[in-house]
Amino acid sequence: MAVINKRFGATDGYITMPDGSEHYIFGWVDLTGIPDSEIFSYRGKAQLLGPLLEAKVGDEVYLTLTNLGMPVRPDLDDSHTIHWHGFPNQIALYDGVPEASISVPVGRDFVYYYKPLDPGTYIYHCHFEPVEHIQMGMVGPLLVRPADYDPDNPAYKTAYGYATGTEFDREYFVFLTELDSAAHHQVAVVQEYDWTEFSPDYWLLNGRSYPDTVKSGADLPEQPFSALVKANSGETVLLRYINLGYQQHSIEILGIPVRIVGQDAVRPLGMNGENLAYWKNCNYFAAGQTLDGIFTAPAPGTYPVLNRDCYKNANAGVTPGGMVSEVQVFTAGTLPPQAGPGQ
Amino acid sequence: MTVNIELWATDGYMSTPDGNSIYIWGFSDAAGKKAQLPGPRIVVTQGDVVSITVNNILPEATSLLFPGQSGVLADTGTGPHLAQPQFDGSGNLVSLTDFADYPGNPDTNPASIKYTFTAGNPGTYLYESGTNPHKQVPMGLYGAIIVRPADYDPAIPTRKTAYGENTGTEFDREYLIVVSEIDPALHSAVEKGTEYKIREFKPRYWTMNGRCAPDTMFADGMGCLPNQPYGAMIMAEPGEKILIRYAGSGIENHPLHLHGNHTRIVAEDGRLLKNGATDLSYKRFTVLTGSGQTYDQIFTWSGLGYSPADPIPTTVPNLRNLGVGDAGWTLWSGSPYLGEKGDIPVGVTSFNGIGEYYFMLHSHEEMQITNWGEFPGGMMSMLAIFPAGTLGDTGIIE
Repeated sequence: MAVINKRFGATDGYITMPDGSEHYIFGWVDLTGIPDSEIFSYRGKAQLLGPLLEAKVGDEVYLTLTNLGMPVRPDLDDSHTIHWHGFPNQIALYDGVPEASISVPVGRDFVYYYKPLDPGTYIYHCHFEPVEHIQMGMVGPLLVRPADYDPDNPAYKTAYGYATGTEFDREYFVFLTELDSAAHHQVAVVQEYDWTEFSPDYWLLNGRSYPDTVKSGADLPEQPFSALVKANSGETVLLRYINLGYQQHSIEILGIPVRIVGQDAVRPLGMNGENLAYWKNCNYFAAGQTLDGIFTAPAPGTYPVLNRDCYKNANAGVTPGGMVSEVQVFTAGTLPPQAGPGQ
Repeated sequence: MTVNIELWATDGYMSTPDGNSIYIWGFSDAAGKKAQLPGPRIVVTQGDVVSITVNNILPEATSLLFPGQSGVLADTGTGPHLAQPQFDGSGNLVSLTDFADYPGNPDTNPASIKYTFTAGNPGTYLYESGTNPHKQVPMGLYGAIIVRPADYDPAIPTRKTAYGENTGTEFDREYLIVVSEIDPALHSAVEKGTEYKIREFKPRYWTMNGRCAPDTMFADGMGCLPNQPYGAMIMAEPGEKILIRYAGSGIENHPLHLHGNHTRIVAEDGRLLKNGATDLSYKRFTVLTGSGQTYDQIFTWSGLGYSPADPIPTTVPNLRNLGVGDAGWTLWSGSPYLGEKGDIPVGVTSFNGIGEYYFMLHSHEEMQITNWGEFPGGMMSMLAIFPAGTLGDTGIIE
């Protein structure tokens, strides 16, 4: 079992939508391996989503949160935390709820420690004034591999372990959030926002709105997670669905039903070990929930991914946009093996 | 046995932590008392014949629905009959069930009504108005019913269950969380008799057991919340089986996220998740509690084994380098360890008692954990884990 040392900075920045609009965000930036003397050059470079946090059951994760402050809002001396959403049996100190333990002020560090014991799809996010900090972008994907995970052995390249029926060839995140541009603007210009007026005008897959969703990771450096799903025909694809917005969403892939093999980072198992995995065409799920879905890539072609609440397939009212992406299936043997999640 | 319950449908006020006082309709359990939010808890045993009399002193007719119960009888003085939807002379639906008229109605229909049903299944249920429910339910005319299994015996661990012996639903402590929303514009309109369009429903407060955070964390029966008698703090010790009953009495659906551990949902809508011998229960870290639904869940928090003798593998920085009590208060003990207390910075008020841990329980639609936009508030409470052997008789619903 490995010791994983990571360092995430909390700061602010800007993202862009396909219509050219820019939006102020709070978010994370990966400082792992960056010398202390250079970390201030990462102020203002928050990304949406935050960097992937990946570990294996039994690993020891030391995650340092460094609060870099907000260059656009130097008046805003908010602390931050990291909450590992769904970590079983957590203790208060590492749970990241400021009201129940500590938070990290500007210019300070805190080390969170995790030894995950259960595989699955999780989320991390800041829990300081969460209604503001989550909507502003302080969210990121988190996955835990089973202890026997071996990417070079197909029987052990699984979501939940050997012989759990969760083998996959490729894996992708389907990470749902919304963007209320009025709220982001108010925060940028130091104005109060009444959060009960929350009313998003962009709906994001992996921090992007269509058609940016299908662009490569490198095309949008501040939004580095492509939402394009690619596979060779016949390959098994694992989709890690995460909803960290403030709305309930219904995501479907036209022509591709998925088998749900995990929910909230547990396999659907009854108390006597009954396998309760099931098939879905539309996955309707709520804020703070995760799903693991598996499908076998069908005949080569393009299969649209969309939010069946179709008004969410828009960018500030203009369609197509929002929560739309694609599953692109190629002839067997076309794509090389996947380098990592979402690659 | 026969259980007779008297309720008064009346009005009153609820308090919100930001200083608002909001007019409500609701039920009280004695003549002359103000309405409480939610209505009085009704706890009965499977097989009981439950008779509930509603005495209406509101300015309009009201009634009670009992979703999940079968064969509900209604009696307005002419003898019991199957409760039925009510129509006016033109065939328009005026109530989803037999109702108690308002006092002083010139038609002089009775202003009280008695409903009777046999509690056939154990579980968690709602009772709620069936007359103008779009208005009366959000105004507060709702409450929860807990039906104990017929073999329930809190003195015998195998029979202290939610659904009966050998159903895998044993518990040590239990809590009921009824969630709803408040749009002050509706309440104000009803109070003043002005127009309100329910399609413009826009909540500004979200409640657990009729309270908004941080009032949710206060004990039952606080004098400062005379009409909101039920707290929503969950308290337990490590290793105990904790039963939490969620009931969605509002209009919206709420994803309720419990920090600390997954819960196993053992029943929905008062029905055990079992199909013959096949167990259909499931674990979640977020439970989407839909309007009108109930979820019974059991979980245990066992911790990770840290203690001063087996310390955490990181060093806690000097407190002057940490944020403690940003909200003006903290529930932290100052120590990483259960049952230990450490330093808290000068000027910060800690409500921690004996080194217990606190984990948040909240809607993950985060605007719902505000009071009219201000965090912390709304549909949020805490799970408190106390050191073994320190908690005593807490988490008992009678």
